[in-house]
Order: sequence, then C-alpha cells, then structure tokens
Amino acid sequence: MSEIKISDQPAASLTLPDDVLFSVRGLKKYFPIHAGWLKKHVGNVKAIDDVSLDIRKGETFGLVGESGSGKSTVARLMLRAYTLTDGEILFRRTSGEIVDLSRLSDRDMRPLRAEMQMIFQDPYSSLNPRMTLLELVGEPMVIHGNGNQGEIRDRVAELLKVVGLRPEFINRYPHAFSGGQRQRIGIARALALNPSFIAADEAVSALDVSVAAQNINLLQDLQEQFGLTYLFITHDLGMVEHIADRIGVMYLGRLMEVAPTELLFSKPLHPYTEALMAAVPQPDPRGNRTRKRVPLKGEIGNAANPPPGCSFHPRCPYAQAKCATEVPGLRTVADGRQVRCHFAEELSLVGAVA
Amino acid sequence: MPPERLLELDDVQVHFPLREGLVKAVNGVSYHVNKGEVLGIVGESGSGKSITARAIMRLLPKRAVAAGGSIRLRPRTGEEFELSALDRNSRAIRQVRGQHIGMVFQEPMTALSPVHTIGTQIMRTVQLHKGLNRADARARAIDLLAKVQMPRPAEMVDAYPHQLSGGMRQRAMIALAISCDPSLLIADEPTTALDVTTEAQILDLLKELQAELGMAIIFITHNFGVIADIADRVSVMYLGRIVETATVDDIFYAPKHPYTKALLRSIPRLGVDQGRRLPTIPGMVPDPFSVPPGCAFNPRCTYAVPGICDVTTPPAKQFGNQISRCHFAEKLAEEHAHV
Repeated sequence: MSEIKISDQPAASLTLPDDVLFSVRGLKKYFPIHAGWLKKHVGNVKAIDDVSLDIRKGETFGLVGESGSGKSTVARLMLRAYTLTDGEILFRRTSGEIVDLSRLSDRDMRPLRAEMQMIFQDPYSSLNPRMTLLELVGEPMVIHGNGNQGEIRDRVAELLKVVGLRPEFINRYPHAFSGGQRQRIGIARALALNPSFIAADEAVSALDVSVAAQNINLLQDLQEQFGLTYLFITHDLGMVEHIADRIGVMYLGRLMEVAPTELLFSKPLHPYTEALMAAVPQPDPRGNRTRKRVPLKGEIGNAANPPPGCSFHPRCPYAQAKCATEVPGLRTVADGRQVRCHFAEELSLVGAVA
Repeated sequence: MPPERLLELDDVQVHFPLREGLVKAVNGVSYHVNKGEVLGIVGESGSGKSITARAIMRLLPKRAVAAGGSIRLRPRTGEEFELSALDRNSRAIRQVRGQHIGMVFQEPMTALSPVHTIGTQIMRTVQLHKGLNRADARARAIDLLAKVQMPRPAEMVDAYPHQLSGGMRQRAMIALAISCDPSLLIADEPTTALDVTTEAQILDLLKELQAELGMAIIFITHNFGVIADIADRVSVMYLGRIVETATVDDIFYAPKHPYTKALLRSIPRLGVDQGRRLPTIPGMVPDPFSVPPGCAFNPRCTYAVPGICDVTTPPAKQFGNQISRCHFAEKLAEEHAHV
C-alpha cells in the first residue's frame, strides 16, 4: 500500500482514543445558492453545520432524523463522496495508522476506499441492470486490482454464500431478484474488499417487514463475523432501537443529541428527540390510546435560511426567549451524553420506553 | 345489506392475463365497511391491497380483468350502487367517485394536477358535483383548506402543488377528496412518503375529519404502527386473499392466522429485547405466477401440515367478529386462551 502524504500537518499530531474508528470534528457542508443571470453567489444551504461525533470500533452508530436533516450527507462526507466545506475526519486504518480524510486528495483517498463502504436504500437504482452478479460484486476487486479472474470468481461465489444467495446465481442479472435479494447483492458488493466500516443509508427502509427483518439479522451476523463497524442511517426509530448501540439525532444539519440507545429511549434530553419518539405510532393499539401525544406544530425549517438561535425553537414546546437568539452548543452532560439544548438539565422529558 | 353497511365486497376477483401466465392479483376478496368506521388493510407489497381499492373505484389498469364478484355501495343518500356492474367511464361511476367516495394517494404530486392551483382543482370538483357558482366554490375551497389545517388558506388557495411541502400537498389532496362530503374515503398509503412528525399530524387530521364528517375510511398501509393508531377493524392480505379480519385489538393481541402472527413478531418494537434476533418468516413471497396450491402461505408457515395445507384452500372460519382463513385457526385460538 502506498504511503499517504498529509500535506500541512505532521502525522504525529493525529491521535484517536483507542476504541474510536471514525472521528468527525466540526464538520460543515455548505451548498452555495446562485441566483440571477450572473449566477451570483447569494447564500448557502447549510446542509451540515458543525457536526462532531465519534464512532467506536465494532459498534453500530445510528443516525436518525427527518428528511432534510442531513443524515445521509454526514455519511457521504465521511466517505468523501462529497467534499466538505470545513472540519476534520479522522479515520483509523486497518494498519493502525490514523489519517485525516479531509486533507486527502481524491487519488490519495483511493486506497482507503477499500476500508469503508456504503449500502444504499434503493436496491433497484443502485445496481446496474446490465451487469451480472459476477461483474457487480467483483467490480470493486477489479478496480483495486485484487486477484485475477479466477480468484475474483471464487471470491464472488463465496460472498454470495455469505449473504445468503446461491452461488449458482453468479451469471444472472439484478432484474431476476426481489428487492430483499438485491439489497443482499449490494451488501455482498460492499463486503468485497473486506472493509472495516460500512455506512448503511436507509438500507432496509424500502423493504417489506418480513424481508427487512431477514436483512437486519444478516447485517448483525456479518458484523459479528467480520468485526464490522456500522453507521446505520434511518428514519425508523423501531429499527434503530433494535440495531444501534449509540444514536445521534439530527435536525436541520445539526446533531441535537447523542446517547447510548437505552438512555435515549428511556430518558431523552432534547425536546426534538421527545417529539420524534412521541410521533411514531407503535404497533400497540392499547398503548397508543393511553399515550398522550401532542404532535409537533409546523414543519422542518429551511436550511438555506434556518431560524436564528436554536434551529428547533419555532416548533419547541419548551422554548424560551434565549432559544431564539443564542445557538446552543453540543455539550457533554451526565453519563457522557451530548445534547444541544440550553435547558437539557431542567427539562424532564418523556421517552418512548419506560 | 344490513342498515349499518356502507360498502360490501363479495368474492371479488381481479386478474391480469400476462404473457408469463395469469396473475390473480385479487383472488376472492370479501370485506365490508360499516358507516363511519375505519377499516385498515395491511399486507406486504404485491398482496393486492391497492388493486382491491382500485376495483372499488373502477380505476383498474387497462389490462386488468375484473373477473368476478360483487361490490355494492350504499352511501348516505340512500341509493344503492352495484359498482362491480359499472363501466369505468360511465356517468354513474364518475358521480360515485367525486361525490360518494374520495381517494387519497401516497404521492400527492402525481395525483394533483401540476398546472392548476389547488384552489382551481377543488373548485372544479364542487362546481361539478354540488352545482355551486364560482364565488361560492372558491369560498368552499378556502373553507376546506382551513378544515385540513392548511396555514393561511385564503392565500394558499392560489398555490400550485409544487409550491407546497409534502405534508401540505397531502393536506390539499385530503381537502380535494372530502370536498363533496363523501361517505367513504379510500386512503392508499397516505402517510408512507411523509416524515414521522408530519405523518402524526396527517393521522390526527384524518381522525378529526372522520369524527366530524362521519365518513368511513379504508386505510391501506404496510405499516403496523399506523394501523394500530387509526383502524377500528383490520384485514390482513397475503397474495390476493384476505387471510384474517378482526378488530384492531384482536389482530394485535390475539391473531388467529399464522401469517398475521409471524408478521407482528418480525417488527422491532420499542423497549422489547433490544439486540435480540428478529424472528423472521422463512423464505419469501412467491412470485405471482406460481402461487402455491392450497393455503398460499403454507410453504412459509410453521403450523403447516402436509396433505392438508398444501392441498385444500382453507375456508373462512368465524370466531365472533374475527375471521381467519387457516385450517388450524382453532389451535391458535387455544394458544391465546392460555396466555
């Protein structure tokens, strides 16, 4: 593997706590808005604004939030599918070396891509319909020059077995498979280069319940088998509670709260987390009848022109004068939890689980 | 029909003759909707839940064949319509669609006209069916938008669908659907494309409107959480058949069909055994050209007995208000008696 050059910072200054695989610091992504005929730059959509989080080795970190909250953008920035506006992305390589992905050129990034992969939501549009499973799953190996034709064929057959597809399917095209099976093809492709990290972006959201359950179990088995670390992005709170060890809640480009799963669901600290949990109808008619549910008013704000102060304050039932003017920072409170709310200690919020 | 009955489906069949074979997308579906109740229809994709709804509206795709069964509607006005006998373009069915049955779809962007304001779309409907003049129709449109809690209705009446957010578009769609005080609203996955906080708002809105206007709702979804929240009774569909119908509580706490039971077990629930393996249903939904003989669920069913389940189609067995199409429904009933 070629040496990675870090241009303006000595390698020695990059450190990570031993158990951390990925660490994002002060991540920002602004998309410029151009208007008028001269296409003048008139403002920015702050898709991601000051996101910091650590993902520990071997854990599943869940990222939840509504559409437009920026959860997918965070994953794409971490994998450098987008260039970031500002921030630091530290990644621990399999070799133990720590690199800052934000400073790497696309060429220097290439060897690292083998170690981090992504699974997409829509198994219909993310697989090229004109490629066979051999080509689809083998493509990453061809690009990274891992093995000759025979070796790649053997490895693809093995990968298909790993994700629960029959190796005889190797010469078929994606159209011959159901949604759940296509998702498995995507998983096999992500596993092809032995990554240590996989970002799953709404990986089971498009699937029927019984198929989603099968694929979730598969992801958990693979994590155990290969020691994988997951970033699991979803809007399905039931699913994320089931699979994640820790969860980050996003709203309008900012992380509002980070907590271990059990604590988040039993005692949320951010009013948005509380509202999100209250909004999800449970498969429990008696429980739904007795649960008090005050639906959030209004809609998610505009990222091009976010509300001043706390971006959630116009919808927050606990908002006070301070919330409209001062932006709360993401602060660490008791139990190592992080929350972005001025009144986290004073509020007594209700979780989804007693 | 009994006096409380609004809609009755009896042995409805919808077939698609395709090159690969005959697909019985709806294979003998019978259900009824009483006045003012919410009937939830759940099932996985391909189970035929939407096609059944389209059969009611006579909005089936061109290559579909309505192969049999009867669909009868008796709206508030008291007349009785034999919908299954109406042609898709007949005057009678168009009257039913606008006036007696409203429909809300999953993707309002494709259901609303992009080149007319939402006000115009509502006005046309009420002008046609209620015979209002322009000014009255516009006032009615603003009223309706206020009723669906659209902010600034007097302004929004002149907005085009693309200027609205997903939640607001769905509200406009609902306003259009209820514009003629229908006796029945068919809502086909109306909240599936929405965020959870918006979904909660729309569900509450539908419940309020239902109570206020006294209309019945057929609510189609694959989301068991949503069904638990809104439905009074539930029908579960699998491969073109209804396998179980019961009150919402019986479906969730005392299911009498193995498919219902297995589906409910495979949903992750908040606060229940975090990190456990989800119990799954083995195999997958068979392709529609080769539906298994006997009970269509038998190859995936843990209760299946060879020689019975893979040979004869189970009859509908009645337990009070609960109907299950399973040879061993009694056995499941006993299991619940012990719990």
